[in-house]
Amino acid sequence: MSSLGLYLHIPFCAAICNYCNFNRFLLDADLKRRYVDALALEIERAGAQDRAIHGRPAAADTIYFGGGTPSLLDPAEVQRLVGACRGAFDLSADTEVTLEANPETVTTERLAGFHAAGVNRLSFGVQSFRDEELQRLGRLHSAERAADALGQARSAGFDNVSLDLMLWLPGQTPAQWLASVARLIALEPDHASLYMLEVYPNAPLREEMARRQWTQAPDEDVEAMYLGALAALDAAGYAQYEISNVARPGRRSRHNLKYWTDREWLGFGCGAHSTRDGVRWKQVASAGDYVGRVMAGADLVVERRVLTPVERVEEALFTGLRLTDGLDLSAIDARYGVDVWGRYGHDLSPHLDAGLLVREPGRLRLTRHGMLLAHEVMTVFV
Amino acid sequence: MTNPRFIRNFSIIAHIDHGKSTLADRFLELTGALQAREMEAQVLDSMDLERERGITIKAHPVRLHYTTPAGEAYVLNLIDTPGHVDFSYEVTRSMSACEGALLLVDASQGVEAQTLANAYLAVDHDLEVIPVINKIDLPGAQPEEARRQIEDIVGLDASGAVLTSAKMGTGVQEALEAVVARVPPPTGDPDAPLKALIFDSWYDAYRGVLIVMRVIDGCIRPGMKVRLMAGGRDYEVTEIGVFTPKPVLVDELGVGEVGFIAAGIKNVADAQIGDTITEAARPTAQPFPGFKELKPMVFAGLYPVEGHQYPELRDALEKLRLNDASFFFEPETSAALGFGFRCGFLGLLHMEIVQERLEREFNMDLVTTAPGVLYRVTTTDGETIEVDSPAKLPDTGRISSIEEPVITAMILTPTEHVGGILQLCQEKRGVQKTLEYVSTDRVLVTYELPFNEVVLDFYDRLKTLSRGYASLDYHVTGYWPSPLVKLDILVNGEPVDALSIIVHRDTAYERGRALASKMRELIPRQMFEVAIQAAIGGRIIARESVKALRKNVLAKCYGGDITRKRKLLEKQKEGKKRMKRVGRVEIPQEAFLAILKVGE
Repeated sequence: MSSLGLYLHIPFCAAICNYCNFNRFLLDADLKRRYVDALALEIERAGAQDRAIHGRPAAADTIYFGGGTPSLLDPAEVQRLVGACRGAFDLSADTEVTLEANPETVTTERLAGFHAAGVNRLSFGVQSFRDEELQRLGRLHSAERAADALGQARSAGFDNVSLDLMLWLPGQTPAQWLASVARLIALEPDHASLYMLEVYPNAPLREEMARRQWTQAPDEDVEAMYLGALAALDAAGYAQYEISNVARPGRRSRHNLKYWTDREWLGFGCGAHSTRDGVRWKQVASAGDYVGRVMAGADLVVERRVLTPVERVEEALFTGLRLTDGLDLSAIDARYGVDVWGRYGHDLSPHLDAGLLVREPGRLRLTRHGMLLAHEVMTVFV
Repeated sequence: MTNPRFIRNFSIIAHIDHGKSTLADRFLELTGALQAREMEAQVLDSMDLERERGITIKAHPVRLHYTTPAGEAYVLNLIDTPGHVDFSYEVTRSMSACEGALLLVDASQGVEAQTLANAYLAVDHDLEVIPVINKIDLPGAQPEEARRQIEDIVGLDASGAVLTSAKMGTGVQEALEAVVARVPPPTGDPDAPLKALIFDSWYDAYRGVLIVMRVIDGCIRPGMKVRLMAGGRDYEVTEIGVFTPKPVLVDELGVGEVGFIAAGIKNVADAQIGDTITEAARPTAQPFPGFKELKPMVFAGLYPVEGHQYPELRDALEKLRLNDASFFFEPETSAALGFGFRCGFLGLLHMEIVQERLEREFNMDLVTTAPGVLYRVTTTDGETIEVDSPAKLPDTGRISSIEEPVITAMILTPTEHVGGILQLCQEKRGVQKTLEYVSTDRVLVTYELPFNEVVLDFYDRLKTLSRGYASLDYHVTGYWPSPLVKLDILVNGEPVDALSIIVHRDTAYERGRALASKMRELIPRQMFEVAIQAAIGGRIIARESVKALRKNVLAKCYGGDITRKRKLLEKQKEGKKRMKRVGRVEIPQEAFLAILKVGE
């Protein structure tokens, strides 16, 4: 059995972005302190419980601090939480430890502190290298600050840094987007994620867009933005490995790959999701509630789905298809006893004909064009 | 048997929402027909749909035992009438069973188009019409204004109008006293051969068809051999009863009495509204006049979304027809939609009701095509055919002339909206008959309008442009010749038969453009570009295109997103399943009614 991923949710932010629907709260120093205590306690208990079920400490090889803004933690707090993971699980020596960071929260000194605390990978939420776009999104940093943050990370000893960018921003043209991508390439990060902005129905940004008459580019432009960015990244030596992710050789996110390769992970903290032994569950969303429950020894789970054998296969298929490597059909057959082409071939073949999908010996994968239309293909699996 | 001197047969006529059902409930309560606490509000409208929409479709009579303050015991038969124009024939039959009517007018709304239409019908049937001004408890009530409108607009003496608040229970007894005092008792010959008028019928799973009727002459008893004169078939009466409103069996019904009979009749079509019942051995010489077979006026195609539901749809339609002789259907095949049915209805409301019942009671998932009317086409061979579907319209070369049904519409509106309404009627090819200021702020407009324009989108537009204040009543009054053409819609070059409509030549171009543009909005992006064209007789008059789908992906999919993503994928798949595939193009159900949505 492969090793677990460990996800630690840090829900605090210095300001709430107008487009974000993640589980996050405005920073409250006192609550943050109690939260870190609760998190350490939860990890310890979860490790013991998992050990009781499986008879031995579970192996784990990735830790991911996601948020919110995990870089608001003090290096000492990060160190304590990494330590809690080490105490509760059988951590491999080369464990990937990622910390999501906002550019405006870091200094060389703090970054060096994180590095010393065991963090070996940083993921900066840059979103754009145009100040106007950053302001529209309500981000607290400027393009220059983001560029500086990468330099500081290098000085602090990080050799695995990822930058996030967002496309399809309000008012953004393809040329403006490609300029941000070019700037990213020039900064030479090790990994990048490209996300299309999703404006949720109740996001404040939606209202602001209506008020200021900002619109998102037509679908034709989004297609051009996506393909243009990937072409530029290809040329610069960044290989796409998932719909929204590219990396230099050896720098794929090992933690995130678990989500797409049908692996298991445990999530800690408020609103965290876990998948283990064929069950997916979600914990209580509110940070205060979470702390209270942990301290009281109460159940943290608010949603629980026991996957049926069919659902397990379906979810393995639609998540796996996100990877450029696609689905390893013989591995799926070995694991689930399912002949994918035999079961879904009839419904998949129009997508093959349309050039969205490629069938290779033992593999099924989306073309780059197919990635933009991935849901058209994936609906075959549900 | 009740002495006719102590019988009063009456109905309540009113515009929708003027409080008819509430008043009826109060009558039941006051006469002890039902205790207040055992009553569900509005007992008489017994179908769920009727209650929800506040309309009456089936005419249920209720026998009320009323004792006057002077101590005289009366039998009052309250004959509820359908309120909507689609069912105006049923209204006239119900009225034929009465000697009087309460004309109910909302004290805050005043006279509306249905008030007027129904009052005219009542006067035509020689009914004693007693004005009742209801809802006098409302803050906006203007009983004197309502009284003035009844006199000026309807032309009835309203000095003796009864003031009520059915909701509060005031004036209810006064209304019943007025019925006793002013509605004449039935007259009829108890010794003459049986003559009874059927004014409703429905199918009961246990007893077969139940006929609701009023005895005019003679009397009817269980065991009697009766003849239904329109069909000329004889049946033996098995049960006789009255509604109190619960059905209660009785031994006989005599002159002026109202009730139901069962006679082992299998099919409602054999017991049609307006028909006369007589004794087989001693038939009456004169059947009740005015019987006509109900003819559907509005036609549309109904198709199951999923082809395999076709047999289920057929069964459901057959069951509905058991209870609704005015509803018609026959199999129809569409190249686009597969196997389905051409269905005929009395009007748009009737169509909506049937659709809703199929969806709710029978769980059918339906595609409905644009409604049309019954055209008369004379071919070059001199033959005249009736055309109920664009698909049946002969080729242009074979058509010598086409006639379309015409309605006379009465529209009552506040003066400030009259300009817009006249414009709408002109646009719909109407011919103005009258325009009359019935008060300082209300206008009565009468128009002749082509029925097909009205079934397309007239009513909604009338409501919109008058902010809901204009009221409409109409009946089909004839046919006129009209240069009509078939407008076709092509999707990716293929004509989609289910999207064709018959329209006037002069509006075809405009409608074609509007329809193509609406279709562009309604058809979602597909994996390829979809061309939409409108054509008249093979000539393309409009073209639109739905560009190919460029993206359909969730950019982020991490641990917490997988369940959300599954839901999203399932929803997309469900959405696709509900679409109809025409060639390679997936067309959503609502697109087949796009013509009704033009302008939205």
